[in-house]
Amino acid sequence: MRPARPRHVSSLIASVPVFVFLVVPTLIVLPVAFTGSRYITFPPQQLSTEAVTGFFRDQAWMSALSASLQAAGVAVVIAVLLGGTAAVALHGRTFPGKAAITGLLLAPMIVPAVVLALAFYQFFISVGMVGTVLPIGLAHAVLAVPYAFLTVRASLAGLNPALVRSASSLGAGAFSVMRFVYLPVIRPGLVAGALFAFSVSIDETVIALFLQSPNATTLPVKMFTDIQYNLTPKIAVSSAMLVTVATLGLLVQVCFTIRRRSVARLLPLTAPEQTG
Amino acid sequence: MTTTTTQQTSASAPHEERRGAIELRGVRKMYGNIAAVDDLDLSVEPGEFVTLLGPSGSGKTTTMMMVAGFEELTSGTVLIDGEPVDRLPPKDRNLGVVFQSYALFPHMSAAENVGFPLRMRGVQRGERRGRAEEALARVGLAGLGDRRPRQMSGGQQQRVALARALVFNPAALLLDEPMAALDKRLREQMQDEVKTLQQSLGISVLFVTHDQDEAMSMSDRIVVMRDGRIVQEGAPEDVYAHPRTDWVANFLGDTNLLPCTVLERKDGEAVVDLGAWGVGRVRDRGAKGDAYAVSIRPEHLRFVDADRCENRGSGRVLSSTGLGATIRHRLHVGGQDVVMRELGTGSRATGGLDSEVTVGWSPEEAQLLVLEP
Repeated sequence: MRPARPRHVSSLIASVPVFVFLVVPTLIVLPVAFTGSRYITFPPQQLSTEAVTGFFRDQAWMSALSASLQAAGVAVVIAVLLGGTAAVALHGRTFPGKAAITGLLLAPMIVPAVVLALAFYQFFISVGMVGTVLPIGLAHAVLAVPYAFLTVRASLAGLNPALVRSASSLGAGAFSVMRFVYLPVIRPGLVAGALFAFSVSIDETVIALFLQSPNATTLPVKMFTDIQYNLTPKIAVSSAMLVTVATLGLLVQVCFTIRRRSVARLLPLTAPEQTG
Repeated sequence: MTTTTTQQTSASAPHEERRGAIELRGVRKMYGNIAAVDDLDLSVEPGEFVTLLGPSGSGKTTTMMMVAGFEELTSGTVLIDGEPVDRLPPKDRNLGVVFQSYALFPHMSAAENVGFPLRMRGVQRGERRGRAEEALARVGLAGLGDRRPRQMSGGQQQRVALARALVFNPAALLLDEPMAALDKRLREQMQDEVKTLQQSLGISVLFVTHDQDEAMSMSDRIVVMRDGRIVQEGAPEDVYAHPRTDWVANFLGDTNLLPCTVLERKDGEAVVDLGAWGVGRVRDRGAKGDAYAVSIRPEHLRFVDADRCENRGSGRVLSSTGLGATIRHRLHVGGQDVVMRELGTGSRATGGLDSEVTVGWSPEEAQLLVLEP
C-alpha cells in the first residue's frame, strides 16, 4: 500500500476541517456548561460548576430528566422485546408477506417525525392517554423497534440453522431453544438495539413536544421551551449530558463491534483438522 | 436448573426388549409440484444399521428430516416402535440426530453439550456431569469435557456430537452425512468406530450418505434412492453384486455394461445374446424392462484360454496401469471398451499393448439388469 500513502495523507488533511465542522459546534456546549455566568455565554468568562450543581438541584430540570429516563426505559424494553422477537421469528423462514412485515417493522425509520407526532397526538387524545410519560415512551418504542430489529437480525446472520434443529431433537422446547440457542447469539444484538433505542428516545423532540404535558416534559422539550424565555446555562448542562450519553453509547457500541470481530476471527467455521 | 426432578429418564430404566424400529409407510413430500420423496416405504429393524444412499437431490436427507420431525409429510405416516409419530414435535421423538455440521452449541463446553439433552429431561447437575463424562469416555474423549467446540478438531467435534446424540438413550440414531467434512483417513477411522459403537449398543441407525464406500462398509442394509424413490435395497454385497438397473450398477462402483437381448430366463439364470461377445449365461433376478444389459464388475473379468470358458470375448489391450495392489487394464473387446481389474503387480496374461487377449466371466458374477430409459 506504499504508493497509496500520499492519497491517504491528502484525504486525512481534507477530512480534518470536515471533522471540525461536524464536531466542534457540539463540543461548544461543554465549556458553556461550566460557565460562571448566569446566561449562556461563549467563550465562558470564568469557570464554575455552579450551573451543573444548579441543574441537579432544580426541581423542574430533575423532573424533565426523570421523564426522559422513564420514556426511554419504556421505549427500550418494548423495542428490544418486539424487535428481537420479530427478528428471531423472521429468521430463516420464507413465506409470502415476509417482505411486507419487514417493511412495516422498518417503516418508522422512514416516516417523517412530524407526521408520526401528529398521528400519535391524535391517537392518544382519542384513547384518553394524556398527561403522563407513558404515551411518549410508547411512541418512542415505535421509533426504536426498527433499530432493535436490525441489530438482532444482524447478529442472527451467523447462526447455524442446524443448531435450532439440533436443540429440538435433543428435547428442547420453544422456550429452551430461545434460551440456549438464540439468546447467546443475539445478546450483542440486543445490547446494541437497547443502546440505539435509548439514544433514539433520549433526544427525540418532535413527538415529545406534541405529547408533552406539565407532568410529562422530557429533557429536550424543556430545553426547547426554556431557551425561548431565559438563556440559563442549565440548558448547556443538559446538552452536555445528552452529548456525553450519546458518546458513551457510541463507545460501548464500538467496543462490542471490535470484540465480536475478534471473536469471529478466533472462530473459523471449520476448525483446523487434527488427528482425532 | 434448580427444579427438582420428577421425571426419570428412560436411560436408567432397564429396558430389555429391543426397541428402535422405524417404519415409513407411503411417505410423500411435495415442494410445490415437485415430489422430493415419493411414495416411500422403508423400515429399520431394532438394532439394524440402514443407509439411505443416493446422489444429492435424491430425497435421502428429506426422508431423514421427516423421521426426525423437521419436515412435515405431505402424505403417509412414520412409526417409531409401532407408534405413529406424525403429530409429535422433534423434541418428543426421542431420536439422537447427528448433523453434517455437528451443530454443537458454541457457547457450551463439550460436557455441557453432552449434558444438554439430560438437562432438557430434568436430570440434575451432578448426575448430568457424570453421565456426560461417561458418554465422552465412550467416544474416546475422556477428560476433554471442559473444552469448547472451537478448541476441538473436526473429528473431536464429531465425537462430541455422537456422544450427545447417544447420552439420553434414544430409540434410534439418525446420522446425516456426519463424515462429509472429515479427511479420508479420519473418515475411515470414524466409520469403524461408529460401526463398533452401534454394534456394542445394539442401537438402530438410519444413516444418510452419498458416499458408496461409506455405505458399503458400515451398513447392514443399503437403500439406494434416486429422485425421491427407492431404486433398490438389500445387503451391501447383494446390491453391489446384483444391481437391478444400470444406474445402480454405475452408482455403486465401476462396472462394464454389455447390451444384450434375452433369449431365455429361468431359475435365476438367463441366456443372453451379447452380439460380438456371443451367447452367454448370466445371473438373473427377474427385473423387467424394455432394454437389458449385462453388468460385469472389473474385478470379475479375467483372462482365459480361448476354448476353456463358456462366457467370453476376444479383443486387444488398450492400456495397462499398475495401481499398487491391482492392475487396471483397458481392453477393446467385442466392439466396445471394457475395464478389467487384475490382482497382483505383474500381469500374467497379456503380452503388452495391442496384444490379443480373451476375457471371460463366470455366470454367478455377471448380472442381467434393466437399462433405464
